[in-house]
Formats: sequence, C-alpha cells, structure tokens
Amino acid sequence: MAINVPKGNCFHCGLPNLEGDKYPVTILHKTHSMCCPGCQAVASAIIENGLESYYEFRTEPAIKGDSALDNTMHKLAVYDEPELQEEFVFENGKHKQIQLTVEGITCAACGWLIEKQLAKVVGVKQVTVNVGARRAMIAWIDTEIKLSGLLKQMKNIGYESLPFQADNHEVSFQNEQKSYLKKLGLAGLMTMQVMMLAMAQYFDLFGDIDAESTRYFNWISLVLTTPVVLYSGSVFYLSALKATMAKTINMDISVTIAIFSTYIAGFIAVNQVDAEVYFESICMFVFFLLISRYLEQRTRHKANQISSNMLKHIPVTAYKWAKGELTSVLAKQLHVNDLVLVKAGEIIPVDGEITEGHATIDESMLTGEFESVDKQQGAYVYGGTINQLGVITIRVSKTLKYAMVNQILRLQETAMANKPKVALLADKLSRHFSIIVLAFTAFTYAFWYFQDSPHAFWIAISVLVATCPCALGLATPSALTCAMAKLNKGGILLKRADALEQLTDISDIVFDKTGTLTCGEFSIQKVWVADGSQRDALLSIATALEVRSEHPIANAFSKLEIDIKHQHISNFRVSVGNGISGDINGHVYQLGSANFIGIDNENPFIKELSDASIVLTKDGCVVAAFWLVDKIKNDVADVLKTLSGYETSILSGDSEKNVRDVALKLDIGKTYAQRTPQQKLDTIKELQHQGKRVLMLGDGINDAPVLAAADVSVAVGNASDLAKNAADVILLDAQLDSLVVVLRMAKRARRKIKQNMVWAIAYNVLVLPLAMAGFLTPWMAALGMSISSIIVVYNSTRLLKD
Amino acid sequence: MSIIYVLIPLAIVIVGIAVSIFFWAVRSNQFDDLDRQGYSILFDDDIKRKDVDTNQQKEKINKTDETK
Repeated sequence: MAINVPKGNCFHCGLPNLEGDKYPVTILHKTHSMCCPGCQAVASAIIENGLESYYEFRTEPAIKGDSALDNTMHKLAVYDEPELQEEFVFENGKHKQIQLTVEGITCAACGWLIEKQLAKVVGVKQVTVNVGARRAMIAWIDTEIKLSGLLKQMKNIGYESLPFQADNHEVSFQNEQKSYLKKLGLAGLMTMQVMMLAMAQYFDLFGDIDAESTRYFNWISLVLTTPVVLYSGSVFYLSALKATMAKTINMDISVTIAIFSTYIAGFIAVNQVDAEVYFESICMFVFFLLISRYLEQRTRHKANQISSNMLKHIPVTAYKWAKGELTSVLAKQLHVNDLVLVKAGEIIPVDGEITEGHATIDESMLTGEFESVDKQQGAYVYGGTINQLGVITIRVSKTLKYAMVNQILRLQETAMANKPKVALLADKLSRHFSIIVLAFTAFTYAFWYFQDSPHAFWIAISVLVATCPCALGLATPSALTCAMAKLNKGGILLKRADALEQLTDISDIVFDKTGTLTCGEFSIQKVWVADGSQRDALLSIATALEVRSEHPIANAFSKLEIDIKHQHISNFRVSVGNGISGDINGHVYQLGSANFIGIDNENPFIKELSDASIVLTKDGCVVAAFWLVDKIKNDVADVLKTLSGYETSILSGDSEKNVRDVALKLDIGKTYAQRTPQQKLDTIKELQHQGKRVLMLGDGINDAPVLAAADVSVAVGNASDLAKNAADVILLDAQLDSLVVVLRMAKRARRKIKQNMVWAIAYNVLVLPLAMAGFLTPWMAALGMSISSIIVVYNSTRLLKD
Repeated sequence: MSIIYVLIPLAIVIVGIAVSIFFWAVRSNQFDDLDRQGYSILFDDDIKRKDVDTNQQKEKINKTDETK
C-alpha cells in the first residue's frame, strides 16, 4: 500500500531532492535519500521509535520536515502556563484533556503514526486522531508529562499541533450530525423491515392471504413505522412548524402533511382487510429525504471545521523588566508602562514606544510594505511585527486588547457581520414549488372526491409524494459536497459552500500585492561589477558577508546557493540600518546602503548606482552593486492572462512606486496604493456600492477586514492565521493557479446544479399527471422518487472526476 | 404458517437490538472519521516484530524527553 516515490525525489515528503545523497536514512532495510535535514530528522525519529510501518501504510507523502526543531522547545514551554491552559484544557479528575489542530496530516497512516507514537509516552492516557478533521484529542496525567512535552513529541515526528479556538457552533453541529445519523439509521433499518412485510401484499403471490395474516402484517408494520414517524421524521415537522410560524411555505410542510396523512389513514385502516396501508412508503420517503438533509448538514459542518482549524492559538510571550530582572510573561498579562525587552528575531508583543536601542522592524503583516523599517529611540512599534535586527526596550503604551492587531480583528468582525448575503437559487425555487404542489394536491383530492372514488384520498397522497421535490432538495447539496471534496483534494479549502455559487457572479478581482502577487521577500534583480571577471568572486564575498546577518536581504543572497566555505571572514561588524562589513584575505569589505559606504554623490559614475539597493566596496573602492526587488511569483503572469474576463486591480499598503511597477508588469489596470486596513475596506465597499461583485485575494493581517467584506475572498497559502480565518477559500499552496481551478470548478458546479434541477423538475412534471390520474400508487411514487434522487446524486459525483 | 407469529416478533427483537447497537456506535463517535477507520483494518501493527522491543523504546522516548 506504500506509495511509489519517483527517483530523484525526497522519500519522506515527495518533493524534488536537490541535495542528492546528502541526507540518507535507512528505512525497511533500504537506504533512501531525503531533501533536507528536516525530513531526515523526522524520518530518523520515526524509525527510532519503531514505527517504520508508517512508510508501508501511507497513501500520501508527508509534508516537508521543519529543520528548526531546536528553537521550538523553548517556545513550547509557554503552553504549560496555567493562564493559557485554562482556556483550552479540560480537567477530568487526574487527567487533563485537550483538543489540538494538527498540521501535516496527509493520509490515514499519519493518524496511526501519531497515535502509536504518543501512546508510548509515559503519562498519556488516551490519544485519538481524527484524520478527516485534522484534529487530535489527547488525555494525559499532568504530573508525569507536560503539554509542551507532548507537543514536542509530535513535532519530532513531523506534525505541528496547536490548541485552537473551537467555534461555539461546532459542538452543536456535532450533536446535530449524530442525531441525523441516528434518525437515518433507524429509518433505513425500518424501511427494510416494513418493505419485507409489505412485499407479501404487493404481489399476492400466495393466492389469497387470509384476513388474519393481513391484519397481523399490518399491525407489525404499524408498530415498526411508529418510531420512524415520531423520531426520524421530527426533523421535517420542526422545520414545517417554523415555516408556518413565519407565515411562509416550504417543502417540509408538504412532507409533513404527506407523512401524517398516510400514517393516520393507515392507523385507521389497520384492522380492515381491504383497505390499503402504505407504511413502507412512509419509511422509504422519510429515509430518502433524510439522506439529502444529512448531506447538506455535513457540508456545512465540514466547512465549519475547516474554519475552526484556522483559529490556531499561538500565544505571544514577552520578557518583562521587573525589579531589574527579566521574567517571561504572556503578552496579555502586560500592563501599560511596563518595560519589555525584544531581541532580534522575536515578535514584538504589544504596541509601545522604544526607550532604548534601535532596530529594523518587518511590518509587512500590518502594512503590506515588506521593506523593513528603521526605528530609533522614541519611535512607535506595533505588536505582531517582527524585530529583525537590534535589541530594543519598549515601554508598553496599549495593552494587548487595544493593540493594532486586535483593532484590525475587530474591524474584520464588523465587516463579516455586514457581508452581502445572497439568496440561493434553490431556496427561491422551493417556496414557489411547495405552493404549487399543495394547490395541485388539493385540486386532485377535490376532483376525485366528487367523482365518488374510494381512492380519492390515496390518489391525493400519491400526488403529494410523487411531487415531493426530494431530488430537488438533493440537487444543490450533493453537487456542492462533491465540488468541495474535489477541491479539497487539490489543496483548496472551501469554508462556505455557497461561496461556490457566488464565484460565478464575480465581476471584479482585487489582489493584494505583497505575498499574494509577489514572493514577499527580496531577490536579486541586477548585478553590476566594476571588473567583469571578478563577478563570481564578488558574489561569493557578498553572500559570505550577508549570511552572517539576519536582515531579510540576506535571504536574497543565500537563495543563490553559492559556495562560501572557502571564505574566511574576520572582524565582522553590523551597523543597524546601514550595512555590514568584514575582513577577507586582508581586504576590508563593506556592504550596505550608499550612505553607509560613504559614497560621494557628485561623482557621475556613482550616480548610475544611486538607485541600487546595496553597494559592495573593497578597501573603500566601489567594486559591485546589487539591485534587490520583491519578485513576482512565477505563474502570476499566466494566471492573469486567463483572468482577462474580469476587471482586475491591486489594493496594497505598499508605496505607489512599487505597486505601479507590479501593475505595469502584469498589465493590471487599476491600482490603489498606500492603503491602511480601514482604507482598503472603504475601497471594497465603494466597489460593492457601485454594484460590482468583488473577489479579493490577500494574505496579511492587514487584509483580514477586507477579506471579510468582499463577496468572496481567497487567502493564499502562506497567509497569516487571521487572514485565513476571514477568507472563504484558502489556497493551501502559495500558487496562484489554484484560483483558476476554483473558478473553473465553480462554473462546473453551477452547471451541475442546473442540470440536477432540470432533471428533478422534469421528473416531477412528468409524474404529476400520472399521479393525478390515479395511475400511481404511493409505493410506486416513493420508488420513483428514490430513483430520481439516485440519478441526481450520481450526476453530482461526476464532479469528482476530472 | 402460524410459525410467523413467532418468527416475526423474533425478527423485531433482533432489529431492536440492531438499532440500539447502531445508536451506541453513533454516540461513541465511531462514525466521526470514516476514512481513517477504513484504513485501520489494513494496518497490521498487532503482529509482534521480533527486531523491535517496545519496552526499550518507551525508555528511549521518555529519556530524550527529560534531557531536552
């Protein structure tokens, strides 16, 4: 059952292996190569724990191992804080229990692996993994092992797990689903039993059945049908009741009338010999209707689960100065005027003012501008941004509740509440339909009654049953379920099933720039060297120097993967906000902005290099210059060509110049630059006011409100958790061509829904005259309805194929 | 034919048992993750592997946990 990993790919994660034989691991007596130390570490951990069988059982490759396993232990310790645990951990006597969302589960074998691994840890009482929902439930004894230890064990085998904010609705959804299953099961079992008894009477194969047997069978059928009518059917009665109280008509009213009339008539007739009883029709009827409701509820539940998984709780800790000592506290425990130390590489916990030190801060998740900002003493910094370089002390000015991040969150919640709602096609149709059906039934009954037919009542019931739009009820949910499942397989998560219908109405597509259209990191665009022959050597020197720095510019160089092992650097110095320098082979090299280098601007030669991002000097002489830019993702240009039918625009927090550059390259008409989150929201609202229907793509925290407000919103894979929470569609990989896939599927789903509806209505229209004329007995009507439902569902499953 | 007076009530009793077992299964979350349960019968991890000592591994895991 194991999967076949093609040669040249990492055995663990299946991605292309560019490192050759650098990271081998022996699995199942064969040596395989991995693509990175992360995958190697995870594979080794799996082997060491005797769980090699994972590789035999799995049906999908694992996700790429994260090589930064060491720093996580320190960060995980925060999960043992009681203040944090009281939100997520349940105490059950001696045991503590928690539900975690797990990232990295790709197939059933992953669930097996996690369960087996954690079961071996001392102190773990129970581990259950739900592969479909990507969740794990762990019960453990706190004195023997801590939560952070459990999280670390999972990380060792390659799964990142975190507590999450369960949606309030989730518990009720789960109960609803269980209740549906029970009702469905009961109806199904009883249908079989009652059908069995009714068969005898259908064909009368045994000659005349004596009155006693008939009566006996009828009584048994009555007894078996009663729980179905009272318990399984309650779903419809409640819905019908709600509709009557709201003074509208819906399908469930006709259904309720049909069920009750048949049952009561049967009840009355059960002792008579010649009378017809149709208990099996009731059971079948309820059974098939319940199937459609169950499917619909499952879709909504699944979507809900996916969005809950996105609400991962990653608590931010801070180092507070208290009485001259540093203590580690939770960000939400900080008060105004507290002093906090933030080291390089850490996330700033709350909004505050710098009192000591100076640093370069990455504010891209808040503003969209990805070039780091230099902040000095007295400058204001925001919670959630990353301190890239430099050590600073901050005086807290706003508590976590009022930090910029949470303000954006509140903006997003308001936007979400005011999202434009669209009445779905099916709902509109069903109301009209039900009224027509009831009218027809009444008419039929009256007609036959005045014709003095003893069958008047049963003909009327046949009309009700035959015209019951069971297939119509299945048309939309079955198509949407299949569409969602197919998209899920392709790495696209749909949070709202009805978003699929809305996607076909889109007129405008708005893109965020940084991280969505562009990679969100520096790349080298152009290189100039004074002496052409020295190009490679100089690149190597520049890379060697940059590797020592933590500035994002370093990433641009390390991407080139130049061999720097032979470079020996001494006297490496960093000047924050300006550049770096070091001595190599006796020469002093400086790499940084033009100011840092001390270049004389009047020199005409230098003017050409004036817009270069950084310049390299050797012993004071300029030898090379590099232009860095945020590169546009590879497939974006192609994707935009296929989207030429829509009006596209860029909505970004970045500077006018950067946005214009990207827009020109991609041939996008409209640009909105330098927008704050509130201004982004206003832009979208303006477009919606003009009657346009907007599809928004984004990834940062600053996009969250606008993602909530757009008609349909898409978060790209590398998006922040807040953005993923606000979006309707999540593209799990960061590639933009998934957008085209979604739009195409939306169109297909729409077509399928229309086809299903046409068929369902055609069937009902065809069957109606037959029923009215009295040619259809209730059981034939029920059978016909079942077959038409099956046809509709089958048609929808064709969405699962390409 | 009067045997049906025994057989049918018997059938009903059996169906009643079936229904209650089904209800129990739903209540104990057995229907929550159907994909996974389908696979678990294929895992043959109940076969004892001779080259692996589970007790030794338990010690190893818990030891690494303490040192970190």
